[in-house]
Amino acid sequence: MSIAPEHKPVSIIETSNLCHCFSDGTKSLSDISLTFNTGEFTVIAGANGSGKTTLLRHFNGLLFPESGTVSVSGKSVKKDPMAARKQVGMVFQDAESQIVGDTVYDDVAFGPENLRLQRAQIDRRVSQALSDVNLTGFEERCPHHLSGGEKRRLAIAGVLAMTPRVLLMDEPFSNLDYPSTCTVLSQVVKLHEEGHTIIITTHDLEKVIAHAQRLVVMEKGCVVRDGLPEEVIVGIEQFGIRPPCSVQLGKGIQPWVN
Amino acid sequence: MLGSARKGYSTMGELTAIGFKPGSSPLHRLDPRTKQLVLMALSVTTLWADVPFLVVNSMVMMVLFHSAHLHARRLFLEIRYFLFFLFFVFVVRAVSFSDQMFPVITPNEAAEALTVCWRLLLIVFMGVLLMSTTRTADIRAALIWGMKPLPFVNERMAATMVGLVVRFLPLILFQANEIGDAMRARGIERRRNPLIRLIKFTTTLFRRVFLRADELVDTMQARCYSEHRTLPELSFSRNDIIAIGVGILVLLSAC
Repeated sequence: MSIAPEHKPVSIIETSNLCHCFSDGTKSLSDISLTFNTGEFTVIAGANGSGKTTLLRHFNGLLFPESGTVSVSGKSVKKDPMAARKQVGMVFQDAESQIVGDTVYDDVAFGPENLRLQRAQIDRRVSQALSDVNLTGFEERCPHHLSGGEKRRLAIAGVLAMTPRVLLMDEPFSNLDYPSTCTVLSQVVKLHEEGHTIIITTHDLEKVIAHAQRLVVMEKGCVVRDGLPEEVIVGIEQFGIRPPCSVQLGKGIQPWVN
Repeated sequence: MLGSARKGYSTMGELTAIGFKPGSSPLHRLDPRTKQLVLMALSVTTLWADVPFLVVNSMVMMVLFHSAHLHARRLFLEIRYFLFFLFFVFVVRAVSFSDQMFPVITPNEAAEALTVCWRLLLIVFMGVLLMSTTRTADIRAALIWGMKPLPFVNERMAATMVGLVVRFLPLILFQANEIGDAMRARGIERRRNPLIRLIKFTTTLFRRVFLRADELVDTMQARCYSEHRTLPELSFSRNDIIAIGVGILVLLSAC
């Protein structure tokens, strides 16, 4: 049976036999071949040091492969990292380190200013991005005065203002309290519903796995499992990842919040 | 350097007293070019001015600090290392040695040394006022505007370098405070050798600052950083004319 063209998955990020070594010679990624489709919500899980963050940095052109290739929309990231960065936005684990502006407005405007947009267009994008993450009215606030959850949402807004097609998030729920985690999670789900391709790395599946369409498991720089979350999650403890409580209780994957 | 515990010190949220604070004071509303121009003129004049000018300048500073909601106590705490430097300057300028090689301080030399320290302190305060009331992006844009006519100067790169220093000086000071706290928590004060304390402190600080710089480069690159960015729109207003007028009046008091 042929698939209708509108339903055919369109790949946006592809890696082929991607290998990466750190400067001390340690192999951090081995032979990674993955394809991410437009509109997909993927969780990349793995214990500390499994290579999740290193892999994300290749998608955004912050690192380049030792061997193998990474491409975004069919273009090599190594040949044109700027093109990749325009399409693939990255939210770092430490939201604090991502703050470069003196005010919330300045911080969100940083990306569009780098794209050399007109001021009126920058203002529109900042306004829209802040609205998307429920930070409207915070424009003149000092970013360092925001709460942990607000800083994380600001980091997301800073990326959204560049209108990327893909949103990479490195451990987006780390160091957040319960209400902040709920808010950030609902924002992420909303962004996915609006059509963004989402790739999240985490060692804690509990909060996000119910919303993911795909689960990739990494161990020692290799992809050891890849597939539907309900299939991949079985026996996931062996890779140093704690299964969600609902799975441990035999209730399958359940949303973390109602 | 790693002295006793400090009271009411900055958290990450507050960072330090040095650095931009959003606000709507008259200084906040001025064009950054006006502020830089007045700052340069006043700084140069302060370097050779006499006591009456320093008094006038100090009073103007106090009014501006108050209007910008900057607290003197916090500020003195933040610049305490600079105060040590000023003390050193005072000693060098004020102390002389008698024929028998005894250190002596004459009233005239002490007064002169105090005046020098006062001048330097005022210049630092003026810089802090500029940093506290002007966005880094605006400082950068004003520098680019000011350096554009200069030949053989890459004004964008130069302004970016100044902007980065202005932006990250508070962060470096914050890191220094954090490291100091962490070391005190593990009893660094029991080490009597100040050199060891200094080495432990500075090596940790440098490592942390370099790591932070790496993180910063990554986050800026991830958001397509370019020297040729859209600059903030700068515009002179009536307030700038008034500010320049006040600046000229203050400068005239030096004559």
